[in-house]
Amino acid sequence: MPFRLEKRQEPSRFMVYATPVAAVLLTMIVGAIIFTLIGYNGIGAVREIFLTPLTNSYKWQDLGVKAAPLIIIGVGLSIAYRANVWNIGAEGQYVMGGLAGTWVALATYNMTGPWILPAMILAGVLGGALYAAIPAFFKVRFNVNEILTSLMLTYASVQLIYYLIRLPWKDPMGMGFPQTRLFAEAARLPTIIPGTIVHLGVPIAILVAVLAWFIMSRSVFGYQMKVVGAAPHAARYGGFSENKTIWLAMLVSGALAGLAGVLEVAGPFQRMVPGFPTNYGFTAIIVAFLGRLNPLGVIFAGIVMAITFVGGEVAQTTIGLPNAATGIFQAMVLFFLLAGDILVRYRIRRVQAAVGTA
Amino acid sequence: MTLSRRTILKTGAAAAALPLLGSKAFAQAEPLKIGFIYVGSINDNGYNYAHNQGRIYVEEQLGDAVETTYVENVPEGPDCERVLRELAQQGNKLIFATSFGFGDSVIKVAQQFPDVKFEHATGYQKAPNVGLYNARFYEGRAVCGVVAGHLSKTGKAGYIGSFPIPEVVMGINAFVLAARQVNPEFTIKPVYISTWNDPAKEADAARAMIDQGLDVIAQHTDGPAALQVAQERGIVGGFGQGADMSAFAPETQLTSIIDNWGPHYLASAKAVIDGTWTPGDTWEGLKEDVVQIGPYGPKVTEEVKAAAEAMRTGQIDGSVHIFTGPIKDNTGTERVAAGVTMTDAELLSMDWYVEGVEQPA
Repeated sequence: MPFRLEKRQEPSRFMVYATPVAAVLLTMIVGAIIFTLIGYNGIGAVREIFLTPLTNSYKWQDLGVKAAPLIIIGVGLSIAYRANVWNIGAEGQYVMGGLAGTWVALATYNMTGPWILPAMILAGVLGGALYAAIPAFFKVRFNVNEILTSLMLTYASVQLIYYLIRLPWKDPMGMGFPQTRLFAEAARLPTIIPGTIVHLGVPIAILVAVLAWFIMSRSVFGYQMKVVGAAPHAARYGGFSENKTIWLAMLVSGALAGLAGVLEVAGPFQRMVPGFPTNYGFTAIIVAFLGRLNPLGVIFAGIVMAITFVGGEVAQTTIGLPNAATGIFQAMVLFFLLAGDILVRYRIRRVQAAVGTA
Repeated sequence: MTLSRRTILKTGAAAAALPLLGSKAFAQAEPLKIGFIYVGSINDNGYNYAHNQGRIYVEEQLGDAVETTYVENVPEGPDCERVLRELAQQGNKLIFATSFGFGDSVIKVAQQFPDVKFEHATGYQKAPNVGLYNARFYEGRAVCGVVAGHLSKTGKAGYIGSFPIPEVVMGINAFVLAARQVNPEFTIKPVYISTWNDPAKEADAARAMIDQGLDVIAQHTDGPAALQVAQERGIVGGFGQGADMSAFAPETQLTSIIDNWGPHYLASAKAVIDGTWTPGDTWEGLKEDVVQIGPYGPKVTEEVKAAAEAMRTGQIDGSVHIFTGPIKDNTGTERVAAGVTMTDAELLSMDWYVEGVEQPA
């Protein structure tokens, strides 16, 4: 191997924060070139995907609604990833949060009262946290890799949706379609700007991110997360329990994914349907990294990802770009980001044949 | 590729329309903008492909009088609502939502855009500016059922369904009723995979069915994945859904149900241009050429072909209706008395299986 990666003494602080911006810019440039080469209007594609959602004020509401769950889940993941706890199953915890909220909404269908929505939210948070507790338990007790368990539990949660909406929760008015009934008024998330679709979940997302930033940078909890992730040995000497950290990381990230789930089902969906899992939990992984595992950065990263979703639809209707293009752009962002991170943290060294040990 | 094809079509259509320009009727009016949303990809070679063929047909027929846009892979949920609003804001005055699960979103967005006409395929919720349209796919299923009844050696077929909604249940029932006219022992095993298009899930379901000894597979999902597995494993056969899929399974596709939406889309577009559009509720089939039967595959003998054609032509001239009693459900209870034909309303709310259908889990 003629080249070798060598760890840099001290990665440039500037570059750590410049990488995400560079990744997005590179994506735009390379995307424009690729799509031009295969016969599309490449410049137009980049303009419609990355700029139109920002310049067309009518799209802002869509950005908010799409970014909110990404931010909430992304904040949770960024906390867990800081502690080197790899919760990949946020999608499943999001689903369980949605299901727990749905359960409350259906149980209170004939009731009214301002307590119903908070009860649903509480149930959603608990649902997500409890579902994340399963991989946490296996990790702490049997040292089972949490990446595998949390990921696989996602598929189990989707099957649970199918079961519930086909049998016990089936909509009596739905012509046999597997879905729950439309939630009663009291169980729906209110819109906060009249005439738009911007619901209460959007300010909640910002609030969650700011609170998390505060806690992560000012509290012992945040310090513990960071130390355990960055220097496990030092953390152990310092008296931080690794197991306790795993528990906290999983529960917090699960609870936030559950919160996103219940807000999504009570807001845009207003009923549980088979199409409820829309990969927010997976996209939020990109969001967490793009936001540099910093809750405030996650806000911006969530908006960037929302832009690509909304812009991808605009590009389909205006310049006939296929739907898969959105996925290609999102994947490019992550690719350039990870590649950039490598170069920030390591330098490429040419290796002399004699020195090279395989 | 899409763009260039569309451009070519437009140019071609414009050329074809040149002689018409003398009338000036088309040239001066603003083109009618029409939007289409599909639940899957236009390259699924099945259901969504067929809807898109209908869109292309409208462009070919009306040329510069229309301007069409489509959005594919639209999830059934809030994302659909956003896409519909996007289309309405961009000035589309007629929007076709082509999948069942778009219903809630169509109703919501239609309220916000009262001057835009919406048509929802296979749905059940109407509004002053929301019409419904559907096709009698069950008529095609009955033809497939005849073929399956004749050719299946095990007398057991599998049926890959999306969701247990009346639309799908009715198709399964029509298939098995027709097959049992040929082979009274014929049974069918439905499996629901909770999606309209997921080639991996469709293929998995097909493999599992073949492992259980089922030798014919029909599907009510959008693509050719199950047929490909059938071809690979060399079972008796399967059926194309939405479009002719023989390219994917040349020996194994016995025949196909082709959705021919073009004429309906054309009629709706013309009605909007003429200002005569009203929210309709159409349900057309073989007779109106909305449902077509594709070419028969090499395994279908002349005798079987004749029987299948008899079922097809009988439904066209009205002498045959597959849902005519006596019909028992799969618990043995008689549901339809001898000589009685089920009404459209009964069919559209069908939630029980006829004799010969294994109750799905």
